[in-house]
Amino acid sequence: MELNQIKILAEKGMSPVTNQKDLEAWRIKYLGRKGELSIFFDSFKNLSLKEKKEQGDKANRIRQFLTSLYEQKKTDLEVESLGHQIFDITRPGQRIKKGHLHPLTLILREIVHSFEKIGFEIIEGPEIETEYYNFDALRIPENHPARDMWDTFWINSKLLLRTHTSPMQIRYMEKHQPPLRIIVPGKCFRFEATDTHHEFQFHQVEGLMIGENISLANFKFIIREVIEDIFKHQVELRFRPSYFPFVTPGLEVDVKMKSKANNEWLEIMGAGMVHSQLFKNVGYETNHWQGFAFGLGVERIAMIKYGIDDIRLFFGSDIRFLEQF
Amino acid sequence: MKFSYSWLKDLIKFKESPEKLAELLTLYLAETKVAFRQKRVIFDVDLLPNRVADASGHLGLAREISAILGEKFNYPQIKLKEERQTTKSWIKVTIKSPYCRRYLARTIWHVKVKSSPQWLKERLEDCGLRPINNIVDAANYVMLLTGQPLHVFDFQKIAFNKDKKKEIIIRQAKKGEQIITLERQPYKFKKSNLLICDQEKPIALAGIKGGLAAEVDKDTRFIILESANFDGANIHLTSKELGLKTDASWRFEHRLDPDLAAYAVDILTQLIQQVAEGEILKGKIDVLNYPSRKIVIPINFAGWEKFLGWPISKREIIKKLKLLGFSLVERKTYLLVKPPLYRNDIENREDVIGEVARLQGFNQTPSLSPKEELTLPAKNEFWEFKEKIKDWLRAYHLEEVYNYSLISQKEREILAKNWQDKLIALANPLSNLYCYLRPTLLFNFLKNIKDDFRFTDKIRFFEIGTIYHWRAKEKEETVFGGILARKEKILKQPLFYEAKGIIEGLLADLGINENDYSIKPVEKTAYSSILEKGMALYVKNQLLGVIGLPQKKFLKNYDVEGEIVFWEIKLLVLLALEQAEREYEPLPQYPAAIRDISFIIKKDILIDQISKTIQESASYLEDADLFDIYEGKNLSLGKQSLSFHLIFRSSEKTLKAEEVDKEMKKIYQALKKIGAEIR
Repeated sequence: MELNQIKILAEKGMSPVTNQKDLEAWRIKYLGRKGELSIFFDSFKNLSLKEKKEQGDKANRIRQFLTSLYEQKKTDLEVESLGHQIFDITRPGQRIKKGHLHPLTLILREIVHSFEKIGFEIIEGPEIETEYYNFDALRIPENHPARDMWDTFWINSKLLLRTHTSPMQIRYMEKHQPPLRIIVPGKCFRFEATDTHHEFQFHQVEGLMIGENISLANFKFIIREVIEDIFKHQVELRFRPSYFPFVTPGLEVDVKMKSKANNEWLEIMGAGMVHSQLFKNVGYETNHWQGFAFGLGVERIAMIKYGIDDIRLFFGSDIRFLEQF
Repeated sequence: MKFSYSWLKDLIKFKESPEKLAELLTLYLAETKVAFRQKRVIFDVDLLPNRVADASGHLGLAREISAILGEKFNYPQIKLKEERQTTKSWIKVTIKSPYCRRYLARTIWHVKVKSSPQWLKERLEDCGLRPINNIVDAANYVMLLTGQPLHVFDFQKIAFNKDKKKEIIIRQAKKGEQIITLERQPYKFKKSNLLICDQEKPIALAGIKGGLAAEVDKDTRFIILESANFDGANIHLTSKELGLKTDASWRFEHRLDPDLAAYAVDILTQLIQQVAEGEILKGKIDVLNYPSRKIVIPINFAGWEKFLGWPISKREIIKKLKLLGFSLVERKTYLLVKPPLYRNDIENREDVIGEVARLQGFNQTPSLSPKEELTLPAKNEFWEFKEKIKDWLRAYHLEEVYNYSLISQKEREILAKNWQDKLIALANPLSNLYCYLRPTLLFNFLKNIKDDFRFTDKIRFFEIGTIYHWRAKEKEETVFGGILARKEKILKQPLFYEAKGIIEGLLADLGINENDYSIKPVEKTAYSSILEKGMALYVKNQLLGVIGLPQKKFLKNYDVEGEIVFWEIKLLVLLALEQAEREYEPLPQYPAAIRDISFIIKKDILIDQISKTIQESASYLEDADLFDIYEGKNLSLGKQSLSFHLIFRSSEKTLKAEEVDKEMKKIYQALKKIGAEIR
């Protein structure tokens, strides 16, 4: 047989090979001691030296080609047969890299989502506030001990960093008529040395619901529903008296985790019925509207939910902390 | 505020254990914790600011406990044995300032100043006060009992007036006037500060601190007792100005009831005689200097349920209000309510209703669903936009951070002058570390890198937050910033292109395409003093944001090295772009012809210029999409191989192969002109 013919036949003969047995038969037929190539080598014993060399080189190249064809198929068959055996479902999957949302984002989403379900609108407001909105309009006069409850970063004699999200009660009511229900998530600041439970910046979610008949009992109902939703019914709630000049009566809401032994009541919210002076300040009709307002401590809730014992972790951007959420 | 449990038991009868009573106080008045001092029970009550005036004394707290327990409260009786000589014949009181609302004085002769009896010392110590001598201790004891601060002067150290009387004058300070307090501290005054003086000198800083000049010492035999009422705001201001906060000033700040002063001075008189002997002169000086406060609040019975949400009977309302000491006149449909004078926090109808609810127990009262109309809350587009971006970045392997809004003095120094000029400074910073509002998110990110390079070699952070600039309006701007950093530089894959890819990918997902914005080198923007190189994105003439490499001096400040890319995008500009109207494009009627082209070209010819060259040289070209950039092996230095997909389409016909070939030729020629070798 001609060399080229051997090459063509061998290539053709390889494609239907699907198992070791056929491959071995192919090897014997073309590369074996009595195979086609051997027969060809035998056939040019009688040629001249020059011709021998020419034909020999050519035949060797064909042998190399056929050998590589053989090796390739052998590997393919091995991979194919082994492939079935090493389909190991217990091997870890390939890791898809992704980032993490900050725990405060996660908690804020839960809080916002719970309030949205019962029809509260999300509003945001400025972090740089005026003395009027942060204090005066909320019945917190200068040189009154009540103002000492809010240690303040001042920018100048009239501007400050808001110490709570409550100024938005006034700003929103100035522009909207009741009935209304809003929540105001936002960053606040207090002139306060930092330690494990105090930070000079923190987040609050303010809430305000005003209507003709929004009562103290309604406040308790809504807060109970929402807080239980946020904590997935894993907490007990407690309402007790408090004081904020812009509400009367003023209340504090505490929670206690049901699961934890040796647990304590932890404050999460200051609240109360909106003081009628605020309605006057924003120009509402007198003796017509009533409702409640509250301020929820976002870091407090995150600390309780995730068992975080140091508030400074939230703003430290430690990657070992961030990657846990 | 500390209270002695045994002292409360002396004042009222109750069976509740300390723990039970603390729980009741927490639920009905203010958070209360039980503590011990030498096995004696102490209550630590976190009194609310509106209740300091009436409940900061043991009597006030006992009165409140009685109301909580539903019992009537009885005040202790005072019996004084007075001499025939009158106080009036020896003492004169003159009030010369509206800041003094009432001033009472009594006199006791022949007292013996010595150490207090053990029971008195214990009570003071239990409540956190240090015993001094029996006279001073008695005054402090009565303050702890009644809430009224009291003071005692040495009669003999006070000057006579021309009528041979010891005259006490309450007046505002003369400018520069001074006093040395009991602690031997000198204080200088302004005109607004209120002083207690005699004819010659100040003897006390009203409502705050006694002076050394009329101090009671071991040789004192004759004493004058002061019980007064001062204006709360004035005391607060003086105390703040002088940095002198005392037990007395704290109480006066909360606007005490002027009637309390009269009651307290008699109790003190009785107690001093008990612990220091002496003879009480007859009667007391009492100068009133305030309009009487008469508040009567009419409340319709029908209003109660509307406000509270639960039904409450007339009988219950009246019972609770009486327990709290309110005077009532009952009419057919309404109630006239007069709060007791010690409750200065009760001013309106809701205050009164709230008090009844408080005594019913906020924790016990019903929770009821509002009967409101269903309304769908309006969407907050900006909030949702921010949340969407956060989710997107998280999926792209970025970690979200919340950094501080304040930067340090040192960080300010790195900024160029035009940035420094726009910084917003705090008037009262906590320290040099936090004294300006951040004008960019970059500072915090670089600090994060320094901190976190201890734990990792690569950082990918983002933050959505506020930056601040001193402008007449809109001092705040919400931005979305990010940083990519790695310790090693990998020249072949500069981080810049990854950052750019993240932003482009985000913009594309928001439906914003390249035609909606333009780019310029960052050097031409305000960010040039912050970024060494990079790009600025513009929407028309408005800056949308920047992506670039921070200036070396910034990195140096944090001592960080490596490859760092930062971006900052203005979210309101981005939102406006996202919300721009986008119309549906009809699907093409004729098929596209797609050709690929590869060529080698010098790297210093910008991709933008090459794309433009291609676009402008041919007709029917719908898009030219760069899909491969190759540099390195087989290419000479400074050259790269670029491959584009070229998409041709006509809106009027199906393009023939020859027509496309013709356009391709034009493109080849144009590319050759700018030095491309077509492959």
